[in-house]
Amino acid sequence: MLLRLVVWTILAFLVAPLIIIVLFSFHASASLSFPFTGFSLRWYQEIFGNTQLAGAVTKSLVIAFFTALVTLVLGASASLGWLRLDRVGRAVIEAMSVTPIALPGLFVGVSLLVLFAQAGIRLSTLTIVISHVVIALPILIVAMKARLALFDPSLEEAARDLGASQRQTFARVTLPLIAPTLISSAILAFAVSFDEFVVTSFVAGTETTLPMYIWSMMRRTVTPMVNAISTLVLLFSVAILLGAWLIGRLRRQSAISARAEP
Amino acid sequence: MSLSKPVTGSLLSAPTVLYMAVFFIVPSLILFAYSFWSAASYQVVPDFVLKNYLGSLTSPLFWKVTFNAISIGLWTATITLILAIPVAYYLVYVARSQTILYLILLTWFSSYLVRIYAWRTLLGTNGVLNTVLLQLGIIDHPVGAFLFSSFAVTITLVHIYLPFCILLVVASLSEIKRDLIDAARDLGTSSIGAFCKVIAPNAANGLIGAFMLTFILVAGDYVTPQMLGGSSGQTTGLLIADQFRKTGNWPLGAAQAFLMFLVSLAIYFALLTAGRMSGLVVHRPRKKKEA
Repeated sequence: MLLRLVVWTILAFLVAPLIIIVLFSFHASASLSFPFTGFSLRWYQEIFGNTQLAGAVTKSLVIAFFTALVTLVLGASASLGWLRLDRVGRAVIEAMSVTPIALPGLFVGVSLLVLFAQAGIRLSTLTIVISHVVIALPILIVAMKARLALFDPSLEEAARDLGASQRQTFARVTLPLIAPTLISSAILAFAVSFDEFVVTSFVAGTETTLPMYIWSMMRRTVTPMVNAISTLVLLFSVAILLGAWLIGRLRRQSAISARAEP
Repeated sequence: MSLSKPVTGSLLSAPTVLYMAVFFIVPSLILFAYSFWSAASYQVVPDFVLKNYLGSLTSPLFWKVTFNAISIGLWTATITLILAIPVAYYLVYVARSQTILYLILLTWFSSYLVRIYAWRTLLGTNGVLNTVLLQLGIIDHPVGAFLFSSFAVTITLVHIYLPFCILLVVASLSEIKRDLIDAARDLGTSSIGAFCKVIAPNAANGLIGAFMLTFILVAGDYVTPQMLGGSSGQTTGLLIADQFRKTGNWPLGAAQAFLMFLVSLAIYFALLTAGRMSGLVVHRPRKKKEA
């Protein structure tokens, strides 16, 4: 029971700051301390009138969408390749995909900045997407790897033996088996991109993403408006996580029921 | 006609490998080359000089901020691992519901900047911590030292990296069978004894991995120290970032980035050696999975 107490205390430490952020986003006055002087939605009203913020949000959504798309295509292809590779080939993919996770964002951001400068590529939304894929792709591959370890290649062989064409095998056997993990990992790639700050700050040039907007606001003042934005960002992450989880579940169920069909 | 399995496999993996080669390996190599170039009047000149390395190694400022980054990194990684172990243990061996796991995932995916901002408002002179302590009568005037101190930096970094570290520890504990612990308990060991004698040696490599990964990410995190550390927040990461933004000596920044990388490697090997010598880390041959 001592263990239980310790665990819940640690969880409280993790969650409490987030709850306090949400609480003060509804504060009627501009102060961020107790005593709490009443609820109000004024900070949310201020957000919705802010066109700069709306621009940053749109930019972040577009970048996150394209990051997820590129990551999904590259990652799906690599996962299918992974199933067919021998140990050496797998080791190459692993080394390339795990190393960026073990490096601080600073290193990745700075080296990409140097590459773009050396190649004469102007910093823009495109360079941000390119950089975000470098961070998101490894996460997708690590997630896929755990799932593919359970994948049985003999299922594909069985389909081929029973006369299915390569395309049929892919559509009816391989894809349903890997799709849930692929889609939920792509959603995570979206979330990673949407929140990315350190790498972005090096490769963004004059572009402003939502995290960069929040950063500039945080540096200037401490106002409940930042809390209100933070609350919406938190809600959005919860929604994304929930979406990833639900899709993972639903698709897995449909994959299982499809397999059970005669 | 169909292609052989390894060929199809290579073709399918090629785009990803190519992408990572162009946008991860090549940039790292260019950065390495940069570290030997020289900067003159805002221009980077291809060259082969060691002055970026020698200059950094002989600069007291560089050592001061590197020492600061390492000490923040070691403290944070130690505290994070100590907190992660009971939670991971609970998740792997005790918990029946997934609630805790989802709470951890939620905090892991909650925005990085939002969490820095949260601690900034919690620890400020008019912040929640001060007001609560004042009302409880524990202090009579607001403590200004909560914010802009190593304390603020460490607590925030622990908060940011703990969920990630928990997931790493969960992964390494998952490989240890429950039966081993039950056997130790049956033979009369206390639960803490079972942890020290059964889990720790078996999970040592995973635990050291979790510690190191947390250390590297924390030591390279310059945003949190910049935001919450005040004058104590100068770290190598910030020094490097500033080279690429304000003053613009890119080659010097590149050299410092690689020095930081070498320092991290050195700490990793020191830790591994210490683990081996104390007998905690046992080098075991990997089991062959090939049939």
